[in-house]
Amino acid sequence: MKNHILAILLFLNFWCVFAQDNNPKISLSFQNYSVEDVLKSIEEKINYRFYFVLDWLKGTSVSGSYENASVDEILTDIFNETLINYYIAKDGRVILTKNNIIYDALPDGFFGNTTQGTISENNNEEEESISAPVFFNEATTTQRTPVETIRIGKEDKNSNRKRFTLSGTVKNAVNGAPVPNLALVVQGKKIGTVTDTNGAFRIELPAGLNVIETQSLGFETALKRVIIYNDGRLDVTLNESYEGLKEVVIDADADKNVEDTNIGSTQIDVGEMKNIPLVLGERDIFKVATALPGITNVGEGAAGYNVRGGKTDQNLILLDDAVIYNPAHFFGIFSAINPFTSDEVTIYKGNIPARFGGRLSSVFDIRTKDANIEKFSGEASIGPVTSNLVLEMPLVKGKSGLLLGGRSTYSNWILRSLDEKELQKSKASFFDIIAKYNTKIDNKNSIKATGYFSRDAFSITSDSLYNYNNSLASLRWNHTFNDKHNGSVILSNSHYRFNIDFDGNEATNFKLGYAINETELKLQMKYLHSETHKFDYGISSKLYGVEPGSVEPGSSGSIIEPLTIPKERALESAVFVSDNFKVSDQLTLDAGVRYSIYAALGEAAQRIYEEGLPKGEETLLEVREFGSNKVIETYGNPEVRVGARYFFNPEFSVKASYNNAYQYIHSLSNNTTVSPTDTWKLSDINIRPQHARQYSLGFFKNFEDNMYELSLEGYYKRTDDILDYKVGAQLLLNEAIEQEVLQGEGKSYGVEFLLKKTKGKFNGWLGYTYSRSFVKLDGDFIEETVNNGDFFPSNYDKPHDISLVTNYKLTKRYSFSANFVYQTGRPVTVPVGNYILNDVEYVFYSDRNQLRIPDYYRLDISFNVEGNHKIKKFAHSFWNISIYNVLGKNNPYSVFFVTEAGEVKAYQSSIFSIPVPTITYNFKF
Amino acid sequence: MKLKNTYRFLFLALFISSTSCIDPFEFENETFESALVIEATITNELKHQEILLSRSYQFEEEGPNPETNAEVKIIGGNVSYLFQEVEPGKYLSEYPFSAIPNTEYQLFITTGNGRSYTSTPTQLTQGTQIDDLYAVREIDDNDVEGMSIYVDSYDPTGNSRHYRYEYEETYKIIAPRWVSKDLVVIDETRCLVDFAEKMQEERTCYNTEASLNINLVNTNGFSEDRISRHLIRFIDRDSYILNYRYSILVRQYVQSREAYAYYETLADFSGEGSLFSQSQPGFFGGNISSVANAQEKVIGFFDVSSVASKRIYFNYEDFFAGEPFPPYAVSCFEVHPEQFTAGGACGGLINGILTDEIIYVAGGTYVENMDPTIPLDSLLFGPFTMVIRACGDCTALGSNVVPDFWED
Repeated sequence: MKNHILAILLFLNFWCVFAQDNNPKISLSFQNYSVEDVLKSIEEKINYRFYFVLDWLKGTSVSGSYENASVDEILTDIFNETLINYYIAKDGRVILTKNNIIYDALPDGFFGNTTQGTISENNNEEEESISAPVFFNEATTTQRTPVETIRIGKEDKNSNRKRFTLSGTVKNAVNGAPVPNLALVVQGKKIGTVTDTNGAFRIELPAGLNVIETQSLGFETALKRVIIYNDGRLDVTLNESYEGLKEVVIDADADKNVEDTNIGSTQIDVGEMKNIPLVLGERDIFKVATALPGITNVGEGAAGYNVRGGKTDQNLILLDDAVIYNPAHFFGIFSAINPFTSDEVTIYKGNIPARFGGRLSSVFDIRTKDANIEKFSGEASIGPVTSNLVLEMPLVKGKSGLLLGGRSTYSNWILRSLDEKELQKSKASFFDIIAKYNTKIDNKNSIKATGYFSRDAFSITSDSLYNYNNSLASLRWNHTFNDKHNGSVILSNSHYRFNIDFDGNEATNFKLGYAINETELKLQMKYLHSETHKFDYGISSKLYGVEPGSVEPGSSGSIIEPLTIPKERALESAVFVSDNFKVSDQLTLDAGVRYSIYAALGEAAQRIYEEGLPKGEETLLEVREFGSNKVIETYGNPEVRVGARYFFNPEFSVKASYNNAYQYIHSLSNNTTVSPTDTWKLSDINIRPQHARQYSLGFFKNFEDNMYELSLEGYYKRTDDILDYKVGAQLLLNEAIEQEVLQGEGKSYGVEFLLKKTKGKFNGWLGYTYSRSFVKLDGDFIEETVNNGDFFPSNYDKPHDISLVTNYKLTKRYSFSANFVYQTGRPVTVPVGNYILNDVEYVFYSDRNQLRIPDYYRLDISFNVEGNHKIKKFAHSFWNISIYNVLGKNNPYSVFFVTEAGEVKAYQSSIFSIPVPTITYNFKF
Repeated sequence: MKLKNTYRFLFLALFISSTSCIDPFEFENETFESALVIEATITNELKHQEILLSRSYQFEEEGPNPETNAEVKIIGGNVSYLFQEVEPGKYLSEYPFSAIPNTEYQLFITTGNGRSYTSTPTQLTQGTQIDDLYAVREIDDNDVEGMSIYVDSYDPTGNSRHYRYEYEETYKIIAPRWVSKDLVVIDETRCLVDFAEKMQEERTCYNTEASLNINLVNTNGFSEDRISRHLIRFIDRDSYILNYRYSILVRQYVQSREAYAYYETLADFSGEGSLFSQSQPGFFGGNISSVANAQEKVIGFFDVSSVASKRIYFNYEDFFAGEPFPPYAVSCFEVHPEQFTAGGACGGLINGILTDEIIYVAGGTYVENMDPTIPLDSLLFGPFTMVIRACGDCTALGSNVVPDFWED
């Protein structure tokens, strides 16, 4: 009631003045005086003081002549034709206001009889606190929480300053993390600012009362009445808005869709994906990514992602700046990235910024959350396959914190407790752990350090045990030189290895191992030259070490001869610079160039083959030895990354880009999908780097105050020297791998349509992609030629791809979500005939990928229940009940032809052929 | 050394096994390519060497599709060995010969349509004996008890390296419900039956089966060229083939590196692969190509291998003395099918005998002849006790001829 009345009061602008009764009379005459001078004259004659903003009075001159006139009369005349109102206080101070009027009394009966207490309270507050009365200008009537009044600074009566600086930081009330990109708007005045990445803001406020409103997606809107007398500081903590969290919002900035210069980049806010239906209770960043246009995989359960027709080894997947080589658990059913510790993922699939390099198709830049530096907090989930626990703890309050996360599966326990003998013997276990330390040394320096380890172990035959692990560490030092110049030094190391222990026959037991290790040092600088030029530049250098394979006897009785394929080493360095150039309000260019230089280093032996003949033992000319650290081969290449954005209007833009890139490291796989035992090979004399060029063009439009985002993007991409393999190639423990490798061309193109609704009870997105992807392997010899040397569809060529992700909020606590996916079936290689050899029937393959498996479609639904929002509760809980593949569609994953008991049988396999229900329980404390 | 490729689909993990599935599906060739298939393994055994020629056939068809009227010859050491077609697609050398070391052999084929094919020159591989072939009673990796047949071999020169194994197993079968009499249908229209003495041996038979898998092993990466305890065959103890006497002949081919790689790829593509990752299949050529068109796809490998063989025998009692015998090949439950249906037509008895599905065990009585048009004094009527044919006639499962090599 109180607020309601106040609001009515404040909405009304009265063009009338309540003058004082006993005001002194003066005589005054002036001709073409400035208003300021007139006021000064008045001040000289009587003990009145005027308070105003000079700007308001500029440019008006007045004339007049008064005899024994009250100040009131004079001021009425002077300000008659202007927007200026004035208020004469009892103590002789005169406050000029623009637009608004200052009231010291209310018309009789204006509020009936009910208003007394309300108004007087406000008046009292003002009277006690300040001598210059100001009224609140509150525009909203719906805010229920009382608006806090904060007084900033000490009033200095001698100060003539009209504006004071308010600075401070905004933090998340739950975890103390800074809130970036938060808009602070002063109601009724055209003043506003936005917090920076550290949540800090700085705003010039007119003296007196200002009502500041905060606006951000995912946070409550907060109102602060700030009465400012002098420069001061205001720190604000905000509660997360759960309403905001339930929405599936991909872009953090409301108009980023149309505004960002970069075409083909996408952001996933990990916190917001919790309502998306899950398979087996695992939130998965990559699964969400594949629901976006341009990102696919071969099929459900397949590891590896194909971005815009690129191969699976062409994605640079970074976890806090360090490369993660195998981000999958259990072949690809689960992701190895802990969703609770991840903050945000930015995926670049079109114009990759010049600061990234080394992969052709995409960058997945995954950032781990900063730990809460204010209070201890945590999050946990219990699902049918895994459990997850994340703890955030402040180490030095307000300065540094540590985040620890761990996930583990209990599938081994499940397997062992089964009656089925075969299942009891099999093994499948995995876990991943992450730790991140963040500290703010001072306003100019901060350090972040991350360590990560994941491990998988599984057996598919009782006599072999496979295991693989990723370990990585990164250290990032951010330093601000000045307002315009800041930078980071990043040191990262990542390591991937797998082992196979074969324990079958005493004499032939062996252990086989593979490892790749890389260490990178990178300097990345940002220079905000001006509004029109913003530069990014830097330098990086990466050292690779690959242990391509070793085998050793598994037991003392084994006659396996130890064998180690010699280590490979290489150095990949780059310099890069890019300029975000604001040509005009409409046109922005992002022009970047990167020069990468790669050197394969000794000690190594390289085979030299006869030119123009297939590489084989017969054409081997010599084996050239290179000493330690001797350069075997160098490749240096300029990479151009250019993008542009043009605004037709603030809600509609067109973007275009041209991008080329080189990749010096290749994964070796002769499977149709990614397998954990795929190895990585460095370019050398015989294996050239891969190269890609991509052209893209897109139209971006936001509707209805950024509630709807619409984009239409097209791309055309050509790649050279992508790796493929001779039929039946043996890639593991092969010293002369180049004899098995083919290097061919790739071609892909597509159109991606995405419509997103970012706000409201019903939100989500609809994506449709039409894309094609082809490979051409055309050698001079039959074993180097596939499909007659013509372009043929790649294994992941799925022309039509529709994804619908929706969420409907019933209430603040209950919501429904549903996903629907439809994809054209992928191409598979099928026989072109059968034959009999040694009385056994076999199939005969010819051209690759001539048939498609049936189209894929799947519907998932989930129901989400949030715990209640009582503040004093120990933990905030969240239930997710999902059914994956609710239609029970038996989607074929692959088809294969097997010779069983001398006869050929055709089979198709599917991974999730029945509805899979899951319940997970999450809680935060 | 090679990782076992026999991945088993359905035991990866509970949650995958219960949701994933492997289903057979109907496949038909949309595109069909007719390719010449050449099966040509020449050995160091003195015999009529054999070459089989056929063509690929449609997936949904039954093979093989023999290639007739071809001219086949092998030239080796300035000698030309001509082959003659003895039955469609089967070509035997005119005279017995054996491949000898340090001689290059080359295969020449001209098909009926005039196209010529030739192999690369190939030499006989190193000959290595089978040191030991033995049977062991054990429990295998899948916790199944049975008999494992192992082979040991050793080449001190270290030149053999690549081995391929084939086997041929022969086992004795004794029909458990054999009786000396047969029940035969004497009048199909009237549904009449009578006893007859068995005309052939149907109690004890022998069956021989050849291996149908590709069994390869190499000693690359081993410190010595030694095959030790290499599994040739595993027989579940519940298999009836162990019931009386069992024999296995193992042939060990020493292959060239190229021939071995060819068979390895063949095995890889015809095996199960993993549920999650599958080898990229494609065409792989051997060492035979078309003379006129290098792009023509030719299937098969001209392999000149030295071969060694060994045979062993064992009885069930040798390993399972006093233990229950494995169940017979089929379940010998007794049935009493009706001779006539209620409508007077022939019942299951008559049809079962005529289709050789069931065989007589016991029962039946003679009844006075009541129909003078039937020229018999008396007629045989049921009830008859019948069993599935294999229970009373072992020729349903094997041959009643004792194999030449058989030793009891």
